[in-house]
Amino acid sequence: MNDSGSRITRLCWLFCVVVAALAPLQPAVSAPVEPVKIAGTVTASDWEAYRSRFVKPDGRVVDNANGDISHSEGQGYGLILALAAEDRGTFEKIWNFTLTEFLIRDDGLAVWKWDPAATPHVTDRNNATDGDILIAYALGRAGIHWKDDRYVKAAQRLAMAIGKTGIGREGESLFLLPGAKGFAAADRPDGPVVNLSYWVFEAFPILASLAPEFDWSAVWRQGIVLLQQATTGKTRLPADWISIRARLQPRTADGFPPEFGYNSLRIPLYLLRAGMTDMDWLKTVDQRWRAGSEGVAIVNVLTGQVRERLTDQGYTAMSAALSCALDGTPIPAELKTFEPKLYYSSTLYLLSMSLVGEKYPKCL
Amino acid sequence: MSVARGAIAIAIVSLGFAAIAQQSGETVPRQMQGAGAPAGLQPAPTRPPVDESALRYFASQGDTRRVDAEVARLRALYPEWTPPTDLSQSPGSALPQTDPAVDALWQLYADGKVAEIRAAIAERQAADPNWKPPAELLVALDQSEARRRLTNASDSSQWRTVLAIATETPTLLTCANVDVLWRVAEAFAKTNQIPRARDVYTYTLTNCANPTERLGTLQKAVALLPDAQIAELLKFERRTGDTPDDFSPIRDELARRRVERASVDGKTIAAPDDLAIVERLAENPADSGNALILGYYNYHHKSPEKALEWFKLALDRNAGPKAAEGYALTLRNLNRFVEAEAFAFDWRDKAKENMQVYLDVATALLSQDPPPRLDPRVITRVIQAVTAQRFVNGAQALGWYSYNTGQFRSARDWFLKALAWNAEDEPSAYGAALSTQRLNDRAGFNAIVTKWRPRSPRIADLADGRVTAPASGRRSAGPDATTETTAAMTAPSPIAMPSSGLPAPMTTTAPATAFPQDQPDSAARRAEATRMAQADAPPPVEPLRPSAALRRMEEPARFEQTAPAEALPAARRPAARAAEARGTGRANRGCTVTRNPTSLAPGAALTLGWCLMELNRPMEAASAFDEAVKRGEGQTREEAAYGKTLAYLRKDLTAEAAVAAAEAPQSADRRRELNASILSQRALGAYREGRWMEVILALGERSRVVPEQTDLMLLRGWSYFKLGRYNDAERIFRSVQRTGYSDEANVGLNAVLERTQNIRQ
Repeated sequence: MNDSGSRITRLCWLFCVVVAALAPLQPAVSAPVEPVKIAGTVTASDWEAYRSRFVKPDGRVVDNANGDISHSEGQGYGLILALAAEDRGTFEKIWNFTLTEFLIRDDGLAVWKWDPAATPHVTDRNNATDGDILIAYALGRAGIHWKDDRYVKAAQRLAMAIGKTGIGREGESLFLLPGAKGFAAADRPDGPVVNLSYWVFEAFPILASLAPEFDWSAVWRQGIVLLQQATTGKTRLPADWISIRARLQPRTADGFPPEFGYNSLRIPLYLLRAGMTDMDWLKTVDQRWRAGSEGVAIVNVLTGQVRERLTDQGYTAMSAALSCALDGTPIPAELKTFEPKLYYSSTLYLLSMSLVGEKYPKCL
Repeated sequence: MSVARGAIAIAIVSLGFAAIAQQSGETVPRQMQGAGAPAGLQPAPTRPPVDESALRYFASQGDTRRVDAEVARLRALYPEWTPPTDLSQSPGSALPQTDPAVDALWQLYADGKVAEIRAAIAERQAADPNWKPPAELLVALDQSEARRRLTNASDSSQWRTVLAIATETPTLLTCANVDVLWRVAEAFAKTNQIPRARDVYTYTLTNCANPTERLGTLQKAVALLPDAQIAELLKFERRTGDTPDDFSPIRDELARRRVERASVDGKTIAAPDDLAIVERLAENPADSGNALILGYYNYHHKSPEKALEWFKLALDRNAGPKAAEGYALTLRNLNRFVEAEAFAFDWRDKAKENMQVYLDVATALLSQDPPPRLDPRVITRVIQAVTAQRFVNGAQALGWYSYNTGQFRSARDWFLKALAWNAEDEPSAYGAALSTQRLNDRAGFNAIVTKWRPRSPRIADLADGRVTAPASGRRSAGPDATTETTAAMTAPSPIAMPSSGLPAPMTTTAPATAFPQDQPDSAARRAEATRMAQADAPPPVEPLRPSAALRRMEEPARFEQTAPAEALPAARRPAARAAEARGTGRANRGCTVTRNPTSLAPGAALTLGWCLMELNRPMEAASAFDEAVKRGEGQTREEAAYGKTLAYLRKDLTAEAAVAAAEAPQSADRRRELNASILSQRALGAYREGRWMEVILALGERSRVVPEQTDLMLLRGWSYFKLGRYNDAERIFRSVQRTGYSDEANVGLNAVLERTQNIRQ
């Protein structure tokens, strides 16, 4: 198990160097990329506040804003945060629940939706690629950190399955399909449809070492390209669901609102966590999100109209982390005490603050 | 794909080994290792002695349920093992299990808290890298997780996962986990491996003793395996011993199924024993399903009185719309149209099928000969339903009803309405032609004739003055309720489907119907209508000829519908048979010796052609006919072109056949016959080559020439299915179902159902 651990670490750095070498081609990625380390970046008390609210004793991560259902994304975040808090027992529980309840699909991916009130509990057996990636990523990192071969093997299996089913191809470019079914060019008139927030950039180096058969760095690159293409409009914000049928002209996918919504607002955080602080687009977002400006909000990407301002701690923590990363703005005092209410914003809070704690301690 | 196949293959191997292990008394894990267990498998420890720590722990807690479960589990793993008699005492020299932390873990296991045990093990190992949990506990955890995962995968129809888990954890496949065995069998069945599924059931019935689970095994099998294999499994019934089996519910179920199949197929007769069983089952006051089956069985087997009783019973037991549908159809078969309409009316909104039955019954009510006197309220509600559903046959029936009661204006309007809903409906066009003629509506008449003359000989005849409109017409397409045909007795009348399922762009108002009953206060108008009808009546001798003309469209339909219904070849029948009939008359002189037709006179070439056709040498026949076409005249030429077409048809050369058919003018009947044959052959050819759209086009064209046969409708249904147009496919299969060919239709409907369910999931 030491073996696979060190292989991952080595390959990771190899891959990171590769990505860094691409920088001249991608003006946005000019600095050496250094993703977060994760383990040990969430304090025991913050984690305890999160765990006691959102993790059931059987390892189920509960989305309390959505009828207490669970989903593959939540299980993935739960695993990452348990690793960040170095809580081996809870990690093991969440993994146990994820393995037995979610990882049951014939193609090796996770079903995405689990409802405690339904029988059977799996109410949608489709997968969600971001959930799959988060789980594989967490398992891969945990396998290295705790030197546990079971995690690495499971991560490899899942990464292979994602590579096989979750990567789409248009000409030369590879991209992430949001799910195994329903998003490809053949599946819908405006297909392929993508969701840019499914690119968990920090995960790609790990996926590349877990399943080297697939060109994850091409997927990464395409994510950046698509993000740049999708942010050329007036508002410079991408819609959550984007049709890339017209290759150079991404547009909002049919049947979805043209909104920068709960999905997309994670993108800046993912970029920061992956170490891609130099992307110009982050400055644009920072200007919108800054205190005294619009703040974190759900925005119509065509008109710029704000549909909903998001003021929960997790969203403000995210914008504070962005300002901190861009120009060292200190984290406001009221964000330093974790007050978990809802699953999603609490998750964003811990992901943001663990990033600040690891990379930008001066902001604290 | 190959990975999955491999997994399944391993599953079978391991399953086989599990079975052998049970019988021979060897442990499963060792066998698995021998069989090349997949990497990563954590085999159960095979070293003796058997780890009884869990057992002793549960016993010390007085947890008898757990003790029993653990005994069962250990027995499954170690068939040679016998549980200790002194469970309350520590085994002393056995395993030094005094670690209270381990006891706590077993307690968690007893409570089913697997995740917590995993967490506790991980935490303790983090603190003490040298500590190892009892191997037995790890095996128990692996099994418990595998069982849960397998169950979840099975609940979500992830069959390959089920089989993969069974492969990785063969120790699960024992009588202690009959539910797992059932799920594995189902996974095999759902992945088209019926023989493997049967193996699992056989394994269970051979090895597992619990009579409830043995019966349960058959109940599971009965849902997945064909009847013949169930019959094989029934042989495992244990009639002696402490716990004999009683598999009679399964035998009942098989009988019930046979009757159910026969209940939708008038051609299949159920065995009296089977019927007796279902009747016995139907005695249960809570039963409605079996009463319903018996209702349909009697309905389709010409016992409408009995059918009515069973449907009545089913209705009383709340069998709902399906029973109401049968009840209304049976009333119709008993010619109790007024009751049928009234009954069906009350149920029309309960289900799509009930509305269809209502429309059919109402159509039959109107189509009686002579036209009945009807309650104006009935007429009104029939009109409402027909209009709302855009039901072509109903509009046509209203047209004939009006026509036959001398209301030519409303007759015309109804026929035109029917045409508006289905522009290709020849009988409606014919009705419209007749009524416009009667109304001296020159413009209307000419419009119809212009459009239909090439396609409808009887409309052409009307236009050419060979026939004049009769005082009363009859519904002329397909058998109706008053026609004494087998089809009409065993199945609802065929329903012409409207050309589009789309709702009307705006509210359609029903044509003004001046039924006498509609305006009881308008005696004067009624009198006038009667007078006009009498005044318009043609000379007494005339109705005979037009009624012959009216039937002309029916005849080819009957001919083809009574042709043997072997799915595909039947489509080719009429043409082939006609050729043979012709051939036998003329081919008595030998033609076995090859002769050059160019040297023959046209008449002789024609004779040679027919002779060669009889010898089934169509290509030579074609060139003989060709000579007769080239050089012959009149009747000979027409006959030769006809023969040549048939010859090409026999070789499946539809394009050549079409050319040949056009080489000489043919009579209208023959033209129709040839066109129909060419088009069905074209459809068959396209079907064989998977050109689904062409099948639909050819059959669409054909249905404009002659009424569509059931087998060709099936072809059309399957083509829609292949094109993914499931709604259209379902519509066609439903129509076929109503004509009595329900087996074939049901296959289609099930396929559609399966496909659309998958899509919706």
